[in-house]
Amino acid sequence: MKETSDPFLEKLLNDSSFQNWAKNNNKNDVAFWNSWIKHNPDKLEIVFTAKSIVVGISFDQKLANKDHVNDKLNAVLNEIHLKNSKNSKTPPKKSNLKVYAIVSFLALALLAITFVFKALSANHINYKTGYGETLNLKLSDGTLVVLNGNSEISYEKYNPRDVSLKGEAYFKVKPIYSTHAKFWVNTPDLKVEVHGTQFNVSSRKNKTDVILDEGSIKLLLKNGENKQMMPGEFVSYSDEKITHQKINKAIKYSSWREGTYIFNNTPLVEVMKYVEDTYGFSSEFKDPKIKELIISGGIPNENLNICLSAIQKSSGIDIIIEEDKLLISLTNNH
Amino acid sequence: MNISPEKSTWFLFVQGDLNVFSSLFKGYYPILHNYGLKISENVSLTEDCLQDFFLYLYENRENLGEVNNVKSYLFVSFRRAIFKKLKKERIFTDFEEDFEFSKNFEFSPEEIAIQKEFSSLQKNTIAFILNDLSVREKEVVYLKYYSNLKTNDVSEVMGISYQSVLNTLQKAFVKLRAAAEKELIEAVLKN
Repeated sequence: MKETSDPFLEKLLNDSSFQNWAKNNNKNDVAFWNSWIKHNPDKLEIVFTAKSIVVGISFDQKLANKDHVNDKLNAVLNEIHLKNSKNSKTPPKKSNLKVYAIVSFLALALLAITFVFKALSANHINYKTGYGETLNLKLSDGTLVVLNGNSEISYEKYNPRDVSLKGEAYFKVKPIYSTHAKFWVNTPDLKVEVHGTQFNVSSRKNKTDVILDEGSIKLLLKNGENKQMMPGEFVSYSDEKITHQKINKAIKYSSWREGTYIFNNTPLVEVMKYVEDTYGFSSEFKDPKIKELIISGGIPNENLNICLSAIQKSSGIDIIIEEDKLLISLTNNH
Repeated sequence: MNISPEKSTWFLFVQGDLNVFSSLFKGYYPILHNYGLKISENVSLTEDCLQDFFLYLYENRENLGEVNNVKSYLFVSFRRAIFKKLKKERIFTDFEEDFEFSKNFEFSPEEIAIQKEFSSLQKNTIAFILNDLSVREKEVVYLKYYSNLKTNDVSEVMGISYQSVLNTLQKAFVKLRAAAEKELIEAVLKN
């Protein structure tokens, strides 16, 4: 390949104002470049080629599905464990029959208890996640639910399309075309009415947030009002107060499903709120100024320690865990 | 000092944290899987290679050297791994050179999404124009827009200069734009 790309093309591609014009992002930049083009008609061809390069071609990604990825991950993890146990120098402990007997007796007893308990509560189905744990569920009607940490979902066995939610969950509702059967999510503040669609519901601290990814849903608010939502919209409802807005596409609100929180110029105080809700801590800021520190990027959420150390490293703060509190202060060497 | 979450994730991975390893695996397996399929057109070879690749990463995590950009690092090293495997399987005797002449990296019309920029073009036409590029050029387009790598990272992954990447992009889009204009003019004439 030749090594002579047009330096002007390169200049355009690296100019953030030009990128804004190409993506129609910023009024000032759009106005500036539109008038620039009028005055430089000889550059028309290269400007529009550069625009095409910035906008690009979009592809429908055909990617390996989640189950497949999880299977492969488990295979690799098994191999890692196998090699680790081979490498470890400690000889295997001699089996102790007595201990085994007690353990297996306890396990059996526990199994029996759960069985009886399940039989008694067979009609009421309930799933609960601990702090920092996420759970993938498939309801009997085919609806997929991802339950975030510190959350709970319950429904009657005969009606999996009417669920109650505490905390946060992402729903991919299976449409039933033949009967147009609706699907409901109940929170203390409102009721979400759906046909088939994808959306996120978060209900914590007397407030419910709903984000709609696909399809259309109706909210039946506690104050008796109804609200229709369109894809890409965000509704927050608490104490009879409602905010309804189009969300910024760059922020992936439902990103916790992927094992990462994505933050986009988010103040630390907001980030910590998310951590508090998922892991059940309260946070205490040593200096109110710290609250305004801005965080951008992905924070892994699968485990509290990773999550905290990612936040600490990306914002230059120290977080100390004291019982159920997170004490936040600036790192000393600042 | 500003350490990106990406760097701290990598740091924890190097420390041997299996949770972080699992997140990396889940995050990158699907896109590398697709990339491997485009290169080799062979499902079992791609999956074997990915399995070995992630295991290798974990076992050698302390000797991987400095990693500044996890995504382009994984693309570079996986690309190397799959070419090595293809060579071993004697699919290509001189893998990189034969690869130039192979028919791989085809785009199917089903993979093309609705376009903002070339709305007048049929998916078939876009796929046809892209497939007319050389294998290397198709790989540039793939990495830039399918895998969403930055232009710098594309040049790093493929081991070619930044200028070559730009030339390729320019070539592809000049063709697409010409086709789109032709289509528009024809539509106007028909009416």
